[in-house]
Amino acid sequence: MGIKSITTLLLLGLAIFSLNPQAMAQSSDIAVVVSPDNPATNVSLGDLRKTFVGAKHSWPGGQAIKLITRGPGCPERVVLLKLLAMSESEYKQYWTAQVFRGEADAEPLTVPSVGMQKEAMRLFPGAVSLVNARDVKPGMKVIKVDGLLPGAAGYALR
Amino acid sequence: MPRGRIRTRFDRLLLALLLVSTFSWAQSAGPNSGDHDQETITQLVEQIKQLQQQDHDLEERIKNLEAKQPQASPASGADSSLPAPSPQVAEQTPPPPLPTAPPRDWHDVRGIKWRGFGEVDYQALDQRRPELGTYGFVPGSAGNFYTGDFGLFLTSRLSNRTSVLSEIVFEERDAQRYDIDLRRMLLKYEYNDHLKMSFGRYQTSIGYYNWAFLSAAWLQTTADRPLIMEYSSNGGLLPTQAIGVSATGSILSGKLGLNYVAEYGSSDTKRPDINGDGLVNDENNGNQVNVGLYLRPDAVRGLQIGSSYYHDKISNLIQGPSLRYGQSIVNGYVVYVGHGIEFLNEGFLIRDAPLHSSDTLFNTPAFYSQFSKQIGHLRPFVRYQYVNASPNDSIYNDVGLRFGPSFGARYDLNDYIAFKAQLDHTVRRGEPDLNGLHLQLAFAF
Repeated sequence: MGIKSITTLLLLGLAIFSLNPQAMAQSSDIAVVVSPDNPATNVSLGDLRKTFVGAKHSWPGGQAIKLITRGPGCPERVVLLKLLAMSESEYKQYWTAQVFRGEADAEPLTVPSVGMQKEAMRLFPGAVSLVNARDVKPGMKVIKVDGLLPGAAGYALR
Repeated sequence: MPRGRIRTRFDRLLLALLLVSTFSWAQSAGPNSGDHDQETITQLVEQIKQLQQQDHDLEERIKNLEAKQPQASPASGADSSLPAPSPQVAEQTPPPPLPTAPPRDWHDVRGIKWRGFGEVDYQALDQRRPELGTYGFVPGSAGNFYTGDFGLFLTSRLSNRTSVLSEIVFEERDAQRYDIDLRRMLLKYEYNDHLKMSFGRYQTSIGYYNWAFLSAAWLQTTADRPLIMEYSSNGGLLPTQAIGVSATGSILSGKLGLNYVAEYGSSDTKRPDINGDGLVNDENNGNQVNVGLYLRPDAVRGLQIGSSYYHDKISNLIQGPSLRYGQSIVNGYVVYVGHGIEFLNEGFLIRDAPLHSSDTLFNTPAFYSQFSKQIGHLRPFVRYQYVNASPNDSIYNDVGLRFGPSFGARYDLNDYIAFKAQLDHTVRRGEPDLNGLHLQLAFAF
């Protein structure tokens, strides 16, 4: 087998690997996580957007929503800003305005680590957050977005 | 847990780890295993680091426990007649929580969250005749500095569904005197997303601007409010505040995003004439009703379309309190805020109908349109406004016809401080055109 054949086989393998959506998505998909006790199993992208702009205050069961976010620069934050079509500066100004309008009690709680996201899930039964799918921990319940879990082809948050 | 026990446990774990690692290394040693060895060593180093961190955390816990229980330590000279805690009891003592609390929010003081907003302004007009002497601007001066509104905003959650909100504004008046105005004071109750009620003094939901920007100059793109949206205490035409009850919420409408607002309260508006005649009219309102609908469709993020209808009975005290008018205000707006663009368009029709005469009506149409685009830290803007009050309407005869453009830019120095520069040109009926320069430093803290 010549070098050309080996190179072709390698390239073919790489192509097959990259076509595997799960393998591709797992490296960059962002999961929507809630507390394990939260009965929600699915959220539409529109409702997720409304949730993270503070337009939805409660879960269908009546539980108050508590937004938990990661700080600027994290992949979760980048995806959140993409979801809301805002820059970091616009996001800060928007939340200051929301609180001032009385539309929200407080700005979303920003935590610096996945461990603290997990802790927040435990403390706030209505908590919702975005977590890199690779970093999901026990105590976090991943819910579908438009019927899809992270890793699925067409998953919206990546 | 006793410190010695933790240390022993850690030492054993470390020893076991080293033995395992040595065994693994010996097994896998071979001419072609260099990469694998390097990977294994890296993993082991990581595990040792984790163990060291755990050890450090445990030591911290012990220090915390010792600091909290000085009387239990024999060395502290505490009462030695007390029985020492048994090892079982000591082991059952729950460890203090790990230091996982989020960074302290300095805007949260014992459950009361606060925010502040302020501004420092410089304004100059090309006329010396008194005009629009509000917010501390000295009527008749060529130009002067003033501080406008300085607001303190407080919120506190009382339960899962109830909270309190208040907005206290220190408003500059003539001769650098400050009035305190409780702009908003609300007890809020949220049953769910479809029903949110507020009781107290609220900002009326007539139009978008009144809801979106409230009294914080920092939130606004422009240096001032459009005249039609100006606070009534500063000569604005609308009843911007009321005391009563308001309800708002979403209506099940799928992707249409339909919402409602309903308000019932007492406005009791008092507005100074803006033509410098020094008169102040107490409208002595009855109870107002305001209902509105707005939609935020999912299909166009940032778009909001709304309309509202307001009705009240008011007086013109200059003519006498017995002369009552039925006042109706219809509003419609189309607003787009997204992708760095802000495009605000609102129209109003204020209709004053004297109750003693059925054949007289005074209509005051007004609108404004404002466009701005964020370019980096800079946001250039342009605004055009129009108000046309009948000269025969004794309530708004000081306003008359006014229209014209404003140009300028807002520059965000950081996330909390903005500098704005604005040029205004106002055409007035029966008066020379008015030109103005407005500079503003607006901030939030």
